[in-house]
Amino acid sequence: MAKENAVAKENEMAQEGFDPKILGFFCHWCCYAAADSAGVSRYQYPPNVRVIRVMCTGRIDARFVIEAFRCGADGVFTGG
Amino acid sequence: MIVTEASRQLLEDCGVDSDRLALEWASAAEAPRFVELITGYVSKIKEKGPIGSGKGEVPLEVIERRLAAAVKAAGARKPRTRLGNLAKKLAKDGDYSKEAISQGVREKILPAMRSERIGLEARMILQEEPKDLDTLCKETGASAEELEKIMAPMVKKGTVSRENDTFSLVSGK
Repeated sequence: MAKENAVAKENEMAQEGFDPKILGFFCHWCCYAAADSAGVSRYQYPPNVRVIRVMCTGRIDARFVIEAFRCGADGVFTGG
Repeated sequence: MIVTEASRQLLEDCGVDSDRLALEWASAAEAPRFVELITGYVSKIKEKGPIGSGKGEVPLEVIERRLAAAVKAAGARKPRTRLGNLAKKLAKDGDYSKEAISQGVREKILPAMRSERIGLEARMILQEEPKDLDTLCKETGASAEELEKIMAPMVKKGTVSRENDTFSLVSGK
């Protein structure tokens, strides 16, 4: 019983503290620069996004997106 | 936008919530807007929970197998040609509205990607052991009719053998 409770609690905590893994495809000239300038001006934003810089949003292929999800990403954010 | 719409519909077809894929615009000078977008998007994903746990989503093992097939399907020749043709058609019509893109993708690209995906996935399942039609339907999420149509050329080519309703992979091919 105690063990069950502990497991339930753990699950609850995991739910609460769910840290989504998000992959960002950022255009070098737009969103990537915006992210950079957001950092320089010390805006606060969530640290969940792992960024891949592409030279243009048009470079992104359906395969990249699907592969990201296959590898366990919880979301993919494309920034143009 | 066409590629994103195609990915979105392919994800939905594989049993993944398509809202997990976002396409947003922020220019280099719009840092505050960028922060807003990212914050909103992350909280939206947090609400949805981990992949495979959202509403109407299939379990993680199934997602992994489906997406592995989908990656190959998205790179296959037929869907790619259709993608190019759709882009040409949209440029000719000069109509880049969301509806036009979504409709074009649904009619032209999705069927090609779906049948490609189901065929590849069926082969992946058969690699483990022979399966009957019903099981294959359940695993891939395809209808029996659809699957019959997709498997027929494979049987004809001799890469897959069929006995009554049981399919198995012919080894060495």
